[in-house]
Amino acid sequence: MLNMININKRFRTELVQTQALADFSLEVKEGEFVTVTGPSGCGKTTFLNIAGLLETFDSGQYLLDGQDVSHMNDYQRAKLRNQKIGFIFQSFNLMPDLNLFDNVDVPLRYRGMGAAERRERIERALESVGLLARKKHLPSQLSGGQQQRVAIARALVGEPRFLLADEPTGNLDSNTAAGVMELLQEINQQGTTIIMVTHDVGLASRSARNVHILDGRIQSDVINSDVINSESTAA
Amino acid sequence: MFLYYVRLSMLSYKRNPVLSTLMVLAVAVGVGAYMVIFTLNYFMGGDPIPQKSGQLFHLQLDYGNPAIPDTSNQPQMAYVDTLALLDAPFAYAHSASSKFMAVLEPSNPDLSPFFVDGRGNTADFFTMFDVPFEFGGGWDRAADDTQQQVIVLSQDLNLRLFGGENSVGRDVELQGIHFTVVGVLDYWEPAPKFFDENNGAFNRAEEAYIPWSLIVGQQLRRSGNTNCWEPPKDSSFESFLNAECAWIQFWVELPTPDDQQIYADYLASYVAQERAAGRMQIPIEKRLFNVREWMAKREVQPDETRILSALAAMLLAVCLLNTVGLLLSKFLGKAAEIGVRQALGAHKGALFRQHVIEAGFLGAIGGVLGLGVASLGLEGVKILMGGERVNNEWMHLDLTVAAITIALAVISTIIAGLYPIWRACNVNPAIHLKAE
Repeated sequence: MLNMININKRFRTELVQTQALADFSLEVKEGEFVTVTGPSGCGKTTFLNIAGLLETFDSGQYLLDGQDVSHMNDYQRAKLRNQKIGFIFQSFNLMPDLNLFDNVDVPLRYRGMGAAERRERIERALESVGLLARKKHLPSQLSGGQQQRVAIARALVGEPRFLLADEPTGNLDSNTAAGVMELLQEINQQGTTIIMVTHDVGLASRSARNVHILDGRIQSDVINSDVINSESTAA
Repeated sequence: MFLYYVRLSMLSYKRNPVLSTLMVLAVAVGVGAYMVIFTLNYFMGGDPIPQKSGQLFHLQLDYGNPAIPDTSNQPQMAYVDTLALLDAPFAYAHSASSKFMAVLEPSNPDLSPFFVDGRGNTADFFTMFDVPFEFGGGWDRAADDTQQQVIVLSQDLNLRLFGGENSVGRDVELQGIHFTVVGVLDYWEPAPKFFDENNGAFNRAEEAYIPWSLIVGQQLRRSGNTNCWEPPKDSSFESFLNAECAWIQFWVELPTPDDQQIYADYLASYVAQERAAGRMQIPIEKRLFNVREWMAKREVQPDETRILSALAAMLLAVCLLNTVGLLLSKFLGKAAEIGVRQALGAHKGALFRQHVIEAGFLGAIGGVLGLGVASLGLEGVKILMGGERVNNEWMHLDLTVAAITIALAVISTIIAGLYPIWRACNVNPAIHLKAE
């Protein structure tokens, strides 16, 4: 599904060169829930940005759904991002002057979808996060947890194969964070592959696989058999 | 997507109302000022009679006194030559005319006598210049020959004297002479006033028209410019008429190039004959000028308007440079939103289109406000060019000028926005997504 082979990424300024990812290789299979952990500056977000086609890399190969994305142009990358990838951010990144309906509408607009189909999908997505009744509200009228739910609805509305989440619970209190985590697990159980960057060791332990990065390299890649077993039982 | 982008533009305006309004004002001032000058140029340089401006020719003869500097290049015609050319053996329509001023004594006792600005002209004047009539019409050549006391009134004068009703057949007393009204003009204010630009290219058309022969026959008080390069022998009217003084505007209608050649040859032979008699000693190369050629030769569009155009263009450029700065600030301030949109599937082309439409939207609002600025500017110019005799009704924003104003505002704002848009669309989304 996602296969990175020997990816290298350097950031250069006039004085300093930083190796963000070094010979980074990772394969994520369809339906997995992978948490990515590591200290600040280790390369977690760089990895997520490359995975989400928001950032290019210097060398290596990246196959997404079997497609080599290494040499794609901006238009092809945007199209792939729109159709296959959903993003969830730590600070939600909702557009403050668009109401919930219009926020969730954004990715569908770039897909050139008809108004009726868009409406149906948006309402379904908002309903799945329990916020359909507030579709005309502005983000500022919602709590942090509700805003993150809208962001999840926006990420899911295009029915992506991948969900990339960067510290999705970082700005939430522990109760709300638990609720968001449960929602993500439900989404994963419905078949969506999730890669989530987090600092929270507790949350990482609730995923079936945890990849720990240090200095741009994978330090450990642990399969959590307890979670897999409990998921199997639940299923 | 166009309407979606327009809606986003409106929301973006609301999000930064101060910055957006500053941009709109910069565009409005720049475009408005430019359009004031554009309007002046547009109408001053316009063709006042496009349907036949290539067929109507103003005559110029080889006048001047070689012994006195700056007496050549006379724009008007002397009386003796006017009579000769009116008698030329051609069937072409021709018009001799000159201005006069007279006291009109209204038959209505409620009205006091007043001066009217009039024109004595030959019969063909009305048909040659496509003068529109509301009632009646002009007179024929026989009326010229027999000095019939007939008069054509302007729409305004007819309104003043007869309340705007059909006054054909009514009596009007001018300078103690009784005239019968034969026609009333419809609104007619050609700009420039091509048939007599020498007496004010943007002056109002006259209020009353009588046969030109009456100006001489009744020795009416002439008005307008008179240029003499040899003084009359004495102070009598007869001496004035026979003197080397130009005061008459002479036009001829020559429909085809052949007609123009025939008439030019005739003029050349007439001038040669006069030169042999001791007149017309300063030769000129061209004697026939169509309307556009004559307006250009007489520089109806003064040099000052070109200087003003350059100044207005500079002001527009300064306003647009300000707009570039403001747009840069506005669009770079949207870097986070642009990053989110990229993450959600917008490619750079789509973002570029979105922001071009946003710049165009601001430009359109600026253009609408610019129309107001231009209207105010034109009112200011009217005041500067004030005076009852000046025809400044042409100084207005017609549909064409209004459309050009809006288009100029939209296009110039989009051009001003290209660099800010390019910068905004090339931000690294990853940086702004994390920073948010």
